[in-house]
Amino acid sequence: MDPKLTEVSQLFERFKAALVRNDYDTCTKLLSQLKVLLTEFKSLPPLFEETPNAIHELTIARDIYEHAVVLSVKIEDQDAFERDFFQLKPYYTDAGGHLPQSPQEYPILGLNLLRLLVQNRIAEFHTELELLSATALENPCIKHAVELEQSFMEGAYNRVLSARQTVPHETYVYFMDLLAKTVRDEIAGCSEKAYDSLSIKDARQMLLYSSDQELSEYIKEEHPEWETKNGFVIFQRAKESAPCKEIPSLQLINQTLSYARELERIV
Amino acid sequence: MTQDVEMKELPAPSNTVSTVGPSTLQHLKEIASLIETGAYAREVRRIARAVRLTIALRRKLKASVLSAFLNFALVPGSEVHSRLSSYLPKEDEHDMEVDAATSATQAPAKHSLPEFEIYCYLLVLIFLIDQKRYNEAKACSSASIARLKNLNRRTVDVLASRLYFYYSLSYELTGDLADIRGNLLALHRIATLRHDELGQETLLNLLLRNYLHYNLYDQAEKLRSKAPRFEAHSNQQFCRYLFYLGKIRTIQLEYTDAKESLLQAARKAPAAALGFRVQCNKWAVIVRLLLGEIPERTVFMQKGMEKALRPYFELTNAVRIGDLKLFKTVAEKFSNTFSSDRTHNLIVRLRHNVIRTGLRNISISYSRISLVDVAKKLRLDSANPVADAESIVSKAIRDGAIDATVDHANGWMVSKETGDIYSTNEPQIAFNSRIAFCLNMHNEAVRALRFPPNSHKEKESAEKRRERQQQEQELAKHIAEEDDDEF
Repeated sequence: MDPKLTEVSQLFERFKAALVRNDYDTCTKLLSQLKVLLTEFKSLPPLFEETPNAIHELTIARDIYEHAVVLSVKIEDQDAFERDFFQLKPYYTDAGGHLPQSPQEYPILGLNLLRLLVQNRIAEFHTELELLSATALENPCIKHAVELEQSFMEGAYNRVLSARQTVPHETYVYFMDLLAKTVRDEIAGCSEKAYDSLSIKDARQMLLYSSDQELSEYIKEEHPEWETKNGFVIFQRAKESAPCKEIPSLQLINQTLSYARELERIV
Repeated sequence: MTQDVEMKELPAPSNTVSTVGPSTLQHLKEIASLIETGAYAREVRRIARAVRLTIALRRKLKASVLSAFLNFALVPGSEVHSRLSSYLPKEDEHDMEVDAATSATQAPAKHSLPEFEIYCYLLVLIFLIDQKRYNEAKACSSASIARLKNLNRRTVDVLASRLYFYYSLSYELTGDLADIRGNLLALHRIATLRHDELGQETLLNLLLRNYLHYNLYDQAEKLRSKAPRFEAHSNQQFCRYLFYLGKIRTIQLEYTDAKESLLQAARKAPAAALGFRVQCNKWAVIVRLLLGEIPERTVFMQKGMEKALRPYFELTNAVRIGDLKLFKTVAEKFSNTFSSDRTHNLIVRLRHNVIRTGLRNISISYSRISLVDVAKKLRLDSANPVADAESIVSKAIRDGAIDATVDHANGWMVSKETGDIYSTNEPQIAFNSRIAFCLNMHNEAVRALRFPPNSHKEKESAEKRRERQQQEQELAKHIAEEDDDEF
């Protein structure tokens, strides 16, 4: 076997062992070494040269990046996740024809969808979704993310929260927790508009806090304009668009003048 | 200018022999002379006209006619000639030989013209595609593209842009679009460097089509936003561009812009392009639904489109009523159509709009309604429908879809009195935007009027022009020599 390939696979074994031990410092160190080594293989994207070991090299590189994505979730680094995911993506899209499908493919794609949802990058979420085939959409990992997005758009927030119990993969928990925070902000924004006031008990339940203490801290930090009085949270309603009392004369004059100018040009 | 082109056209029918073959050949020769004058006079418009005339002849092209034309336009025995003839099936050519022989005597000067060569490539390519011989078409188009890369003449640009199109089409028909992506990008770069705007336009569309074929919306948008834009040269290309742009924007949830692009594409498309307009309308209907609008019935009753738009009509109906169950049945009933139109994911997005419309209907009908009833009316089938209904209602309030408040303690929704819209500035704003639209339309129409260049100048004969050009060239040479002397 190619000595370089042997070196990479040995290093990768050590990386995997460290990942199992949850020794993240060693993992990150080994990962950067691995990535440097991978640059020497010519069969990998973007070159895709036909070398004798191409299949083997592609498989191991894909495996490494898959683990890198999982690692980034474990160390809760979203930027690293994005970087690693983009490095991994060509292995699914462009090299897909040469390799047997990875069992990790759908969980990781679903994870990425979830990340986009958490970061509220809905346009990218849908762009990614278009790339998936009908069979991929049936996969529980992907379906989970797609259904979450739907509930989120509809406003059925308790469905989003209850989805945490049914995560298809352990790595999803991190993003689901982040999503819970986003959901709380959404609920707060909606309640503000929909209710005149709420009892503190109801508000606490709705915003998913276990104690009144936490609730009042949240209000102080995020929504200082809310008032708490007599066991009620009173929302300051935004000023209604009152019927117009005055004629916006200046604007009207400007508009009429511009019509006159244009008409003159036509005639 | 158009006058003298038409004059040339006139003699053609009178000369034609009764059989179809020679008359098509005659037409081709007319076109060839058009290309020739266009090439010498450097008038791109004439070549564009030649291409248009060719498309009209498309159905009449036959192998025998083509090989006769190849003999006429190219040097028999030259590399191009032999290569192109190899694509044509051998038929009895003896009745054409006379024709070829007569033309050979009068045509020696033409043979050096690269325009003819490219034009022959184009003819053979169209013929091969019409004959459904896609693999040969692929080979032929690749050869022509390789030749084109070495040509830098403005008069070839029009022909080249058609060739690019058929190049991509032949690969699409065999399902290998991904293979030529790199090549198209290289061609686009070359076209940009040569300021070949028509080529850039065509290639940009082909690239967008290529990306969208594989649902690579991200890449398509990146290319589109970075590629140079200029005023459109060809209406057809502009329509395509608008359609692709509309698709990209739909996927990226920019519905307002998407609607504008798609409707404009549908309006600008030529009446004959029925399939294209149907596609535009399908997408436009979905985008309007996603925006919360209900397209008018006339949209679905357009001539020739009723059948194709039927699934979308029923879908619209379901959204209009706000009935989740009906929506689901329609989506399932036509799921094959929707997935072949690749609109399935968009339909999934619509679910949320169905709920919104239903909610709006409820809010208008009732001044006060319990959340239990809201959940029942919306047919929310979930574990905890009342809590779902409450959060859905509150989100709809926040997004401005309905004007109401929720009373949590009593568990009901109270709709607010709808104010008199005419007491606000709304009508004034709407009126203004309509006037602005009309004025803008007028201005654009004025701007779009085209005048042939130099039509006011006296027409100079081809001879004189050639003389003048020769003089200019000599002058240029002198100047260049003088420059050399100085340094």
